Formats: sequence, structure tokens, C-alpha cells
Amino acid sequence: MSRASFILRRVGRGLLTIWFAVTVTFLLLRLLPGDPALASPNMTDDIRATILEQYGLDQPLIVQYGLYMWQLLQGNLGISFTQSIPVTDVLMQRLPWTLLLTITALVLTILIGVPLGVAAASHKGRFIDRAVQVVGVTGQSLFVPSVAILLLFVFGLNLGWFPIGGAYTNNTYGFEWYLSVAQHLVLPAVSLMLIQVGSYVLTMRSTLIETLGEDYILLAKANGIRGSRILWKHALRNALLPTTTLIGLQLGFLVGGAVLTETVFAYPGIGRGIYEAVTQLDFPVLQGAFLMLAITVVVANTITDIIYGYLDPRVKTS
Amino acid sequence: MKYSKFLALGAAAALAVGLAACAPSAPEPGESSGSTGPSDETISIGTTTDVVNFNPVLGNSRTDSWITNLMYPHLLSISDDGTKEAHVATDWGYVDDTTGFYEIRDDLTWSDGEPLTAEDVAWTLNAVKRDQAPGTFYGQLGNLDTATAVSETRVELALTQPDSSIVEEIGFWGVVVPKHVFEPQGSIAEFANDGSAGGWVGMGPFIMSDFQVGQHYTLKRVEDYPLVKGGVPGHAEVVYRVYPDVNTEILALQSGEIDVIANALPPAQVEQLSSTDGLQVVEAPGLGYAHLVYNMDKPDLAKTEVRQALAHAVDYDAIRTVVLQGQAVSTGSSALMPVLAKYYDKSVKEYEFDPEKSRSLMEKAGYTADANGNFPVSFRLIYSLQDSVTSQWAQMVKDSAAEAGITIELQGTERNTYLSMTSEGDYDIYAGNFAIMDDPVTNFSLSYLPGGAINYTHVDDADLNALIEEGMVTFDEDEKISIMREANKIVHEQVYDNIMYTQNLFFAASDEWAGFISKPSELLSIVNPLSLASAHPVE
Repeated sequence: MSRASFILRRVGRGLLTIWFAVTVTFLLLRLLPGDPALASPNMTDDIRATILEQYGLDQPLIVQYGLYMWQLLQGNLGISFTQSIPVTDVLMQRLPWTLLLTITALVLTILIGVPLGVAAASHKGRFIDRAVQVVGVTGQSLFVPSVAILLLFVFGLNLGWFPIGGAYTNNTYGFEWYLSVAQHLVLPAVSLMLIQVGSYVLTMRSTLIETLGEDYILLAKANGIRGSRILWKHALRNALLPTTTLIGLQLGFLVGGAVLTETVFAYPGIGRGIYEAVTQLDFPVLQGAFLMLAITVVVANTITDIIYGYLDPRVKTS
Repeated sequence: MKYSKFLALGAAAALAVGLAACAPSAPEPGESSGSTGPSDETISIGTTTDVVNFNPVLGNSRTDSWITNLMYPHLLSISDDGTKEAHVATDWGYVDDTTGFYEIRDDLTWSDGEPLTAEDVAWTLNAVKRDQAPGTFYGQLGNLDTATAVSETRVELALTQPDSSIVEEIGFWGVVVPKHVFEPQGSIAEFANDGSAGGWVGMGPFIMSDFQVGQHYTLKRVEDYPLVKGGVPGHAEVVYRVYPDVNTEILALQSGEIDVIANALPPAQVEQLSSTDGLQVVEAPGLGYAHLVYNMDKPDLAKTEVRQALAHAVDYDAIRTVVLQGQAVSTGSSALMPVLAKYYDKSVKEYEFDPEKSRSLMEKAGYTADANGNFPVSFRLIYSLQDSVTSQWAQMVKDSAAEAGITIELQGTERNTYLSMTSEGDYDIYAGNFAIMDDPVTNFSLSYLPGGAINYTHVDDADLNALIEEGMVTFDEDEKISIMREANKIVHEQVYDNIMYTQNLFFAASDEWAGFISKPSELLSIVNPLSLASAHPVE
């Protein structure tokens, strides 16, 4: 398969996945019990009918779907039920914060997870290996809100090192504002990192151990090449391939984790927007947010696939 | 390989540029408030939700009300005993059965210097009615025909039929907006009032200056506010900060990040925060109640004895002591709560928790218990899972009913589903809370008249209907109280509504602030405009 054809197939598959995700989201939201036009139990039937008509919710499902897809193709995500402003505006206010948080968490996770996995694999069966494994397994079982509250209690309330909530302190400007943003970012990013790092540690450890047992590594050892050179120069490059895939796959979980993290830390990103839109049954915002998440995950996975194709040419023929 | 490196570098650079474009950007310094008031301090207040609507005639959420109440005045306020008191209106009442009136103050000006006159009041009422602006305010205007400014300070309301409650209810629930700002915007129901049309013009102790959705809402002091003692609010700025998680909100208060929590504290937190150094807990009377409603469209529940049996199968004391931790008062199973001091009727007593009495009532209704002592009926009780207090006592209701041989199945759902099921009558028993039931006649007509918006029991009782309708057209207060007490006795005896308690509300604040003026209900509490205008840092 040629390189261009490989990329086209991956992009095509990505687009199909996005369409599928959009359609499923649309249907799921409409199948949910509850009535988005029922903002208050005291609302009169007339007002409720007006709201349903205004947002096209009184139309048959297939008409609503056609209308939605047509608007989507024109880049129109609709108007928020609750805020009465375009969904694009709602999401664009929040997107920068979620990007900042998730990318910081991802970088932290890689910087901590990969070396820990390497340390465990290169000391297989020894104390460091066992300790790292305990950390990895524990990390996988952590629950975001519990970790978040614990971090807030210790480092926010008791030690007072970091602020409790929000993304920055009011009335700060210029450099002071950036400093404030960084300070507010630490605990949410660490919290997200802690729930992700276990997977990276364990994946890195197991693939590196497997790689270190390969014939070409044994041959290199037999040729008298130093252990550290074998580890860093020969084994690590190949062992990083599954971790690259993991980054793409985990991005979805990272964004999912952001819903809870942003809610607990009062961080004004898309995750918290989703939480609020769910409580208010704000369909357009939910649809827009899920579309954005689907695109993020699909694009990340497609890029990972393509990069993987370059790193391991066998993938392109599979 | 060489190309791969360039590709990787290019991708990294593109990613960096893309991220930089999406990165949060630093705000520009705003103008100084230039305040000359008593203190330059900022009071920070925590809330759990963002503002949904800055238009005060539309706002439904608590945060909407807390913030817009600081900018747009109500004609009337409320005292601790539930009676309405003067605010913008100095006098109010009826000229005749179908004409109401307000006399308003002559010393108020909007923040742009224009005077607040009776014309603003009349225009607001007519515009909300004309444009059917959805919200509680519009809901109060059912019997309003038109409002007319007959002088600079007097508004008269022409009513479509006699209504003895409408003047006080409009005065309490409605706000006044500046006609000269809102009228040019077209429909009052569609004006976002989010500052994009040249900022905000209001008449309150503070005016919005800046906000960031998800982060903060900042309001600056208005230097001339005659409704507060001294004429100037006690501090320079109010900042509402949003903490969706209540636990985080409490940590933020303890750490000094905020000075006040606007939401009422969960009962379990009250004692702990009361004994926390640096904090004060302020009490406000509740104006609503928690209740159980039995759906009379269901044949079993249409029998009075069954409803009475269910009422005697609830351990009210245990619920108030265990779940509410003693922070609730009995209403005597009465919709005329003790907080409405003039209407409260001590002769109406709370349903006694007595499983044996329940059993005999069930037998009287024609049911026979099986060998295990259980009757062959089962009732589905719905409640909102977001309401943690109700979620707890619903289980206690199920357990105590089981002692009387009555099976109750619990169905807790998320709030929207719960509201939807309530609206469709999809329940046997409804468990829930009403936050503010400030006017007996209005509340009885909504709750117990056929077609009433919150007539969840689906009652249609000719005697009760007649009394409520009589109450609506009785303008003599003593006579009205007597009529409503009669109506209340029917509700109590027939168990058309099982009122379980009024929850007293507790609000936490830093003890570095003083001067709060607590008002009943979570809607007003210590964040009402008069309270925040009077609050000041402790010297």
C-alpha cells in the first residue's frame, strides 16, 4: 500500500468515526428521559410549547437529525438552550483551558511514566521494579474526585501552596497573570497525571522487558555492547512504539477525566461545561462538546496511526 | 530519515503555533473603580453555578437572582415573619377590587443618572406581560391587565378580576428595569443584557463591571444607594466565584479564597463549620417546605384512608433529627408554616407516627394483610437524586412504611427526569421541596386548585376550591386568614399534601466580615442586596 493511500484510508476512517459519534450522540441525547424545555416545574404549557418550537424540538426525530447535520456541514453548532448564545462561542471560551490542562497533564504523564517504566524494566524483579509496579497498579485504580479533594486538602488548604479553585486570580495582569495561571494549573494537572501514569508505567515496563529478551538484544550483549547503550539506544526505541499508541488511546480517557477534574477544581474548561450542560439538558452544547471531543480523539488516533506507520512500516501493510 | 526529522519538527512547530493561538490570553487591566466609599475591600462569594441569564426578568437560577438582585431592585422585600416590607415601594395596596397600586420612592436614580420613576415600573410590568417573558415573574401576572404610571411615584394596576395577593406577589417577585435601556432592545424576553449593548445600567448597591464565564462575576460599588444606611455600600467590590463542587467551595472558604458561601450549607456541614476557627455560620428562616404528595389519580391513593395511613407511617421526628440534624422545624403537617406567623394555626397538629394506626386505616380502606403482615399494595415514590437530603429521608419513609405493612418502591432519578415525571404525573408518591411558599392564597391556588401548576396530588375538592377562590377575592386580612385556615384544615384532614418540615437554612462566612442582614430563604439569605451593601470588614 502506498503512503498516500495509507494516509487517505486512515483519514477516511476517522471521518466515518466522527459521523458515527455525532449520530450516536444525537440519538442518545434524544432518547434520554427528561425534558430540556422543562426548566422549572412552574413553567406553563404555553411557554414550554414556545421553547420546543423555538429549538425545533417539536419536529419528528428524522427532521431534527437532518436539520442538525445540515447546520453542522455549514459549521453551525446551534444555539445554547440555556445561555441563548452560539454553541461555538460557549465552547471557544472553554477550549483553551481544557487544552492547557490536558496537554500539561499528558506531558507530565509521559515525563514521569516512561522513565519509571524504564527503571522498573531495567531492574526487573528487584525492589525498584516491585515498588514501581505497586505505584502503577495503584495509579490505575485511583478515582479522580477522591485524588482531587485529597490534593486540595493537603496542598491547598493545609499547606496553602496552591489555590483551591479557578484558573487564575482576579485582577492580575501581564506576567503576574501567567504566574497565577501556572499556579492554578498545578493541582488539576497533577491530579489528571496521577490517574493516567499507571498505564504508562506498566505498558513501558512490560514492552521493554519483552524487547530486552529479543534475539537482537541478546546478540548485542554477546557482542559486548554496554548494558546502558543497549537499553537506551536499541531497546527503548522499539519499546516506545506501544507507548505511542497508548498516548493516542489515552487521550480520550484524559478528556473524560477532565470532566471530573475540572468540576472539582472549578476549572473553566469544556469538561466542566459538559457537566453543567448535562445537569441542564442543554442539547446543543452537549452535542457540540461531544463533537469536539470526538474530533480531538479521532485526530489524535489518526495522527498516531500515521506516525506509527512511519515508525513501523509493517503497519502500513496490515 | 532526514525528511522524517523535518516532518517531526514541522509538526511540532505547527502544534506549538496552534496551541499558542488557542492558549488562554491575559486580560487587560480595567479602569479603577475610583470609589470613595467606606472600604476598598472586595468581598468574594462562592456559588456552584454560572449565571445563565443576566436579564433579571428571565433568570431562573439562584445565581442569576443573587447577581441580578444586586443591580435591579424589587418593589418589596420580606421580613422574618413572612410579611412583605417596603423596599422601592413605600406603600402598596388596592384602590378597589380590581385596581392595585404602589407608591414608590422619589430619591432613586439608575446608574447612568436617569431617575427611577413609576414609568419604569409600569413599563417593566407591561413588557413582561406583553412579551410573555418566561420565568417566575411572568407567572405572577396572570390577573394583570395593564399597569399605568399615574404620577412620577405612583403606579396603578388594572386587574382582569379581583386578586387579593397579586400586589404583594408582583412586588416581591418582580424587578424593575430601566425603560430607557430595555425598551430600545425590542422584546424584553429576548434581550440578553450581557453587557454587549454598552454595559449595564441598574439601580442597586453594585453594578456588573466584568465577568468571565466559569470563573468570576465582578460587581463594583455604586456610590449613591439610598436604601442602605449611610447611603453607600460598605465595601468596594463583590466578586462571585464559581465552584461547581460543594466540597471545593467549603475548602475555598476555609482557605480564605472566598469570604461567603452563597448556597445553604448541607445539614451535615453546619456543626463542623460552626466550630471552625475563622468562620461564622448565620441562620436564615426557611420559607418553603419538604413534602410528600400522594397521586389521587391512582385508585388506591384516591382513598382518604390510604393517604391517612401513609401519613401515619412516616417518622417525622426521626427524619428531622437524623437527616436534618435538628435543623428543621415541624409545620404541624400544615401548609401554613410557622414562619408565616399571621397564618399559622397551632390547632392543626402533625400526623402522629403510628404504624398500628396505619394498619387499621388500611384495613378500614378494605385491604387485608398477608401472613407476613404486608398489605397487597405497593407505591412508587419518586425523588431527585441531586437532592441529597430527600434522597436520605426517602429511604426512611420506605422503612417506616414497611413497619405498617405498606410497600414503597423508591425511584430516585436525575433532576430533569424527575421534573419530567412530575409534569406527566408519572408517580404514586412525589417527594420534594418547595423553596419559597411566601403567600398562602397563591400557594394554595397553585397547589390545590384543579389545573394548578403544582397540584401534584391532582386534587379537585369542591369545598376546598370554594375556600381558595374566596381567599383570592377577600381583601380584609383577618377574614382572609380565617378562610385560609379553614382551607388548610381540609388539606390536612384529607391529606392532600403531607408537609413534613421547614428546613432552617445556614450560611457560612468568614468572621473577618460583619454587618450581614439575614433574610428568609436561600434566595435572599445573607447575599440579599441590603445585606451585601451593609457588610463590612471587621476593624
